[in-house]
Amino acid sequence: MKPMRHSLALMVLAGASHTAQAQETLEIIVPFAAGGATDIVARSFEPIFSEQLGVTSVIRNLAGASATVGTSEVAKSEGNPNIIGYEPAGALSIQPSLKDLSYGPDSFTYICRTTSNPMFLMVSKSSDIEDFDQLIAASQEQPLLYGSSGPGTLPQLAVAALVGESDLEASHIPYSGSGPAMNALAGNEIQIMADTETILENYDLRPLAVFAHHRIEGYEDVPTISELGLPEMEFSVWQGLVAPKGISDERKTQYSEACQATLESDRFKSFAENAKAGIAYLGPDEFESFVKERFEANKQVLRDTGLLD
Amino acid sequence: MDIILAAVGDAFTWQALLAIVVGTWAGIIIGGLPGLGSVVGLTIFLPFTFGMDTITGMALLIGVYCGSVYGGSITAILINTPGTPQSAATTFDGYPMTQQGRIGEALGWATFASFFGGVLSCVILIFCAPQLAKFAVNFGSIEVFALICLAMMCIVGVSKDSIMKGLVCGMIGFFLSMVGADPITGANRFTFGSYALSSGLTLIPVVVGAFALSEIFMRFASRDDPGAKIPEAKLRFPRLGEWFKRVIELVRGSLIGSFIGALPGTGAAAAAFISYATAQKLSPRREHMGQGEPDGIIASESSNNAVTGSSFIPTLALGIPGDVVTAMMMGAMVIHGITPGVRLMVDQAQTVYALFVVLIIVNVAMLILSKPSIGLFRYLFRLHQGYVMAAIVMFSFIGAATVRGNPLDLVVAAVTGILAYALRRAGYPLAPLVIGMVLGPELESSLRRGLLIKNGDFLGFFTHSGISMALFSLLALFIVWTVWSSLTQWRQSSANARRAESDASK
Repeated sequence: MKPMRHSLALMVLAGASHTAQAQETLEIIVPFAAGGATDIVARSFEPIFSEQLGVTSVIRNLAGASATVGTSEVAKSEGNPNIIGYEPAGALSIQPSLKDLSYGPDSFTYICRTTSNPMFLMVSKSSDIEDFDQLIAASQEQPLLYGSSGPGTLPQLAVAALVGESDLEASHIPYSGSGPAMNALAGNEIQIMADTETILENYDLRPLAVFAHHRIEGYEDVPTISELGLPEMEFSVWQGLVAPKGISDERKTQYSEACQATLESDRFKSFAENAKAGIAYLGPDEFESFVKERFEANKQVLRDTGLLD
Repeated sequence: MDIILAAVGDAFTWQALLAIVVGTWAGIIIGGLPGLGSVVGLTIFLPFTFGMDTITGMALLIGVYCGSVYGGSITAILINTPGTPQSAATTFDGYPMTQQGRIGEALGWATFASFFGGVLSCVILIFCAPQLAKFAVNFGSIEVFALICLAMMCIVGVSKDSIMKGLVCGMIGFFLSMVGADPITGANRFTFGSYALSSGLTLIPVVVGAFALSEIFMRFASRDDPGAKIPEAKLRFPRLGEWFKRVIELVRGSLIGSFIGALPGTGAAAAAFISYATAQKLSPRREHMGQGEPDGIIASESSNNAVTGSSFIPTLALGIPGDVVTAMMMGAMVIHGITPGVRLMVDQAQTVYALFVVLIIVNVAMLILSKPSIGLFRYLFRLHQGYVMAAIVMFSFIGAATVRGNPLDLVVAAVTGILAYALRRAGYPLAPLVIGMVLGPELESSLRRGLLIKNGDFLGFFTHSGISMALFSLLALFIVWTVWSSLTQWRQSSANARRAESDASK
């Protein structure tokens, strides 16, 4: 029975030390399962960030329901200065319009935007469509299909907005993530996909246009949507840090300064280069107005495309 | 050639070898504990790899992955509780063998089949990755739907006493997988307005409840000697002659696993069920399957371990992760500065070859470590059954909670456990429930995507491509065969009954 008793004692100790520690550590909620694309960025961000702050921090993955479970956990911890969320664009700027959630754009203290990558309109390299006009011509002959990483995600919204504004004839097929959608694109089950540079570079894809205000460095020959004679459109995949409401201004400044320092550190820069994550810092106020502006814009797209009534 | 030698050199550093041994052993133990599966294992070890160099980090993760897929079979055989969902099909024949006292033989076959499947899939990965990846791309939504329908046939096969009861449980599992967000529209279904339910039910909590918790309730409710010991675990490898006799089963299981692994969105649990269903139709000893036939263990274990190697095919050839596990590995590669994608094989050839070598060493390490690991389980299970079961309850809940960190999952596990216990008492088999739950989401979304692509045209759906037509015909054949054989069986048994009646009246 000795080993039994020892292991019990050990477990009690482990449990006790955990609760003792939990009061002083900063909890960073990542609303996706460990190992996902957002989680990888968050895990590279976290050690440098906590070093800057001089605290210990732990990442807690709380996944489910298009990242809204983890996000609402942050929103409902009002007044708790030791919890922040590393949030994706969808959970902050799309899901609150689609679902009946306990939070909205006003439920957070905004800290900073960390990364942002513009989205490209892409077709497979094996297709003979070379530019946007050919895409429209092909879709007039036979309606095309576009993929996305799930219903109500940015890849769907971007192409849906484009279909609404142009003569493009295409309908939506959602997949369970970018990977399966890429597989479908490789097998010609779908023909169009909108996603970031990471996806564009990793697979055999051809960019036709970029959803941004100006052309992107490294892709100088890819036109913006407005250059194609369409209304200006901006869609990007971004991430940022939010804290619950009701934390002190002093704390908020601490967080945003640490965030900025992390993004400027060489360690994070070299990671971002490998992972093709575009560092794009925005301070608390700019980030807040950015999220609110995106929230309204996405809501409009959802209404125009009939996803929301 | 130089590059291959350099790659072998990379894989045979002491750091990499140590990582392989530690990873594989930890993987076997984690896989063996119900609730803690491949994903939990990788989540635990992922942070450790950040400080290692690329090959060492990947070696650790590959070891954990392959080890956990094998480890699940140990508890499946010993206590009728699969350590991971991937090994659920191993319980069908593994546990009956334990009850018959053939425990060493069962563990031996599981170990050998895992090794065989793992190595064969490595060979396929090394030599046929580009070709297989190109072929797998042809498997669109409709083809995957046909394949999953074939796997669903397994439900009929594992419902021993009553096909109707099996189908009922299969449908319960299928229904459970539908709770939460609709995969096509994103709308909430069957949530009764509860926000907690909108994140849906995931596989691990349900598997933990259906297998681990219900098994524990069954043991504590049984009248015969609650203090009974779990049978001693011994390992006896099959002799050369024995495995030669079943080499076709080994190769078939491994090939099925290797192929399913190369397809996106299916995974090791589906592979094991498809392989088991196929063995039930094709094995020369099929009439004994489900009653403790090694062919059943071989079908399940060779195919689920074959997935470990071939799941790297879409990752390495196309940069597309095939399942959650390979997605995590891709994440680990990104951290180490390798970007998976179409050019990975060209740009990072040495790393890729080193990964191949690591995969093979991991499988050999798994074979060697199987004996001490089973020894450890024997040591653990020597305790009074009550303590073992209490520990399993604890690990089950830890596993259920770790996957998403969502407290709902604990409730799901507990409720499923109680429900599953009631079903078992009423004579309903639980394996179909898990099969429905594993295959349900992909079955539904592939059907609905296929219909969207075909604009709702059902005929066009069935005649979509050569592959889909072949698979649908195979499915029709399976159904006709099953109905035919049960009809002849029924006719025979009723003829026997009539003969017995006339004998009695004489």
